[in-house]
Amino acid sequence: MPTHETVFVTGATGLVGGGVLKRMLGGDPQLRAYVLVRDELRWRAASRRLGSLADRVVPVQGDLTARRLGIEYWTRHRLAREVTMIVHAAADTSFSRPLAQARLSNAEGTREMLSLARHCGGLRRFAHVSTAFVAGRQVGMIRERDNGNAEGWVNSYERSKYDAEALVRDSGVDWVIFRPSTIVCTGVEGSIPQINAVHRALRVYHRGLAAMMPGARSDLLDVVTADYVNDSIARVTVNPSAARKTLHLCAGRGALPLGELVDGAYELWARDPIWRNRGIEKAVLTDLETYTLFANSVIETGDARLGAVLSCLSHFIPQLALSKQFDTTVADKLNGCTAPPVRSYWSAMLTQLLNGNWGVAPEEAA
Amino acid sequence: MAAAVPALPSSCPGISGISYAFPACSRSVRDLAREGKLATSAETLESFGFGNVYVGTSESPYELALAAVSGLLAEQRIDPATVGLLIYGGTPGCMAFSPANEAEKGAAGFCRTDRFKYPAARLQYDLGLSGASVFAVDQLACTTLLGATRIARSLCITEGIDRAICVASEFFPMHAGREAIFNCTSDASCAVLIERQGTRNRLVAASTVTKGYYWDADSMRDEIVASYFPTSRFVVQRTIEQAGWSAADVDWIMPHNVSVRSWQILSRLLGLPNARLWSANVARHGHTLAGDNFINYRDALDAGAIEAGQRVLLFSYGFGAHWTGVAVEA
Repeated sequence: MPTHETVFVTGATGLVGGGVLKRMLGGDPQLRAYVLVRDELRWRAASRRLGSLADRVVPVQGDLTARRLGIEYWTRHRLAREVTMIVHAAADTSFSRPLAQARLSNAEGTREMLSLARHCGGLRRFAHVSTAFVAGRQVGMIRERDNGNAEGWVNSYERSKYDAEALVRDSGVDWVIFRPSTIVCTGVEGSIPQINAVHRALRVYHRGLAAMMPGARSDLLDVVTADYVNDSIARVTVNPSAARKTLHLCAGRGALPLGELVDGAYELWARDPIWRNRGIEKAVLTDLETYTLFANSVIETGDARLGAVLSCLSHFIPQLALSKQFDTTVADKLNGCTAPPVRSYWSAMLTQLLNGNWGVAPEEAA
Repeated sequence: MAAAVPALPSSCPGISGISYAFPACSRSVRDLAREGKLATSAETLESFGFGNVYVGTSESPYELALAAVSGLLAEQRIDPATVGLLIYGGTPGCMAFSPANEAEKGAAGFCRTDRFKYPAARLQYDLGLSGASVFAVDQLACTTLLGATRIARSLCITEGIDRAICVASEFFPMHAGREAIFNCTSDASCAVLIERQGTRNRLVAASTVTKGYYWDADSMRDEIVASYFPTSRFVVQRTIEQAGWSAADVDWIMPHNVSVRSWQILSRLLGLPNARLWSANVARHGHTLAGDNFINYRDALDAGAIEAGQRVLLFSYGFGAHWTGVAVEA
């Protein structure tokens, strides 16, 4: 048995996997790491962000969608012998993939990871990064112990992550499941590490290309910062008390009502006199049926540009009308803190989006 | 965002009569599709509620306007000399005298002194409206007649004009398309008689929002579709507020005849729990630039649908972009 901890991380080139790896290495000078790498170039860029910590990281060529993760035999043997913790953060996070394709990465990939985990004799913990939206179409209070879903899902991502969680629970390894909600910025200063569905939706509304938004003013939108999510995963993964626990890494009670989020966005945009002069009306909050009637009508007309806008929103926007509050009792207890309230960084994040030109090149942003 | 609610005048002018005229020829949506005059498929437009539209051939917009105002004067038995105000809107200048098949010739007149041949002045002369001050309103598209009515209402109140006629007449040149953002369009004219002491159909309030950002309708089409719904809701709410009504007070909506589908969506957004929509004319003659709201109002009155004292909301959107609501107490 090794005398030091060795962690095997997937998704290390991504926002969560990379952030967790950095924190774990920084928190334990003895820790060594293997990372599953599909794209050598992306890993080189990610390892530069680790600085000297990268000296303790060994990249392992492989692919989540390949049999036995595509890892060469002797390397796999070495992993099985040395790895004491696994952080499985890799996922296909596109909301629009066909279900079979989403499952290949997210469910079958997890199955392969669990298979490897069962061969790791010294494994103490399998940390699985899921999503709060495995709750799918459920509304109301979502408990961390909830893992049944009779309501269905909004997109293939949610569904495939739900399937992956079930595999983890049935695996027999010592697991902990993390369910972050949507990460919108790095920390409370609002900087945006990567553009996602929330940012793209906001851009559509900023450009005045969306008439309405499903949901009521009091419905909650739960988003979180990457810092909170990554700190939590790095901290709780090594906590023995976390065994067989599921944590909502969510704003929870700090989520902001949709009405306040929308008002805040339009008020901030209106500070720009050029934008204000356009007179773009605030999107109407309405029920999902009305929104769907509008969206279907646009699709019926065959309008390519508006159709593309609605298609961009369609895999995410319906979730707004399915108001839910995520209970964070277990996460708060194991973390010793709550996620920062959305109100504390929403405006800063919006400002960063504007200042960063929505994360696109100037010619695209016009 | 909502403007301050002005005090209502003690006596609001009322609509005493409405008359309209369509060209003789009509076409189905499928006919128009076969003739290449639609951008959207006939099936889609039919599913949006459109059936037939009137298409001008030999009639000029002026002739349609003349027919509408003549009809109004005859029906209301009005001495033309007692009309103190005439407001014309719609097909501008000399182009109004050309039938659809000679529209290009009429348009060419704008480059000559023909540009000073005005249909508004000629209407005054041809109909003997010798006591009428004459104005024309322009660039309000489908809100033209609502805009003219709003001005007439104000002038009746502020200048004491007893009797005003507003008329709009619009057509599409023969070779032009018949669709405006998923809506099938008729040529038509509509005239409205407004009387300061009118006891029926009192013009209680009127509200307009113009958003110049959307002035180029061709290049801003998608933005207009997106802005249409929230801005419509805002203008309707403001009109109701200015009328001193609550949302539950509205008995009828006299729409502009854009697609029934869009009204289904907008109705859900407006949240007027007791309002009925007069939508039968969408299939019968589609959208007109000349005054859907008033054509519908006339037909609803004729059908006995609107009872005295009921509260009626007229609402229209026009390229430019303008959103106008008018509150009427029947």
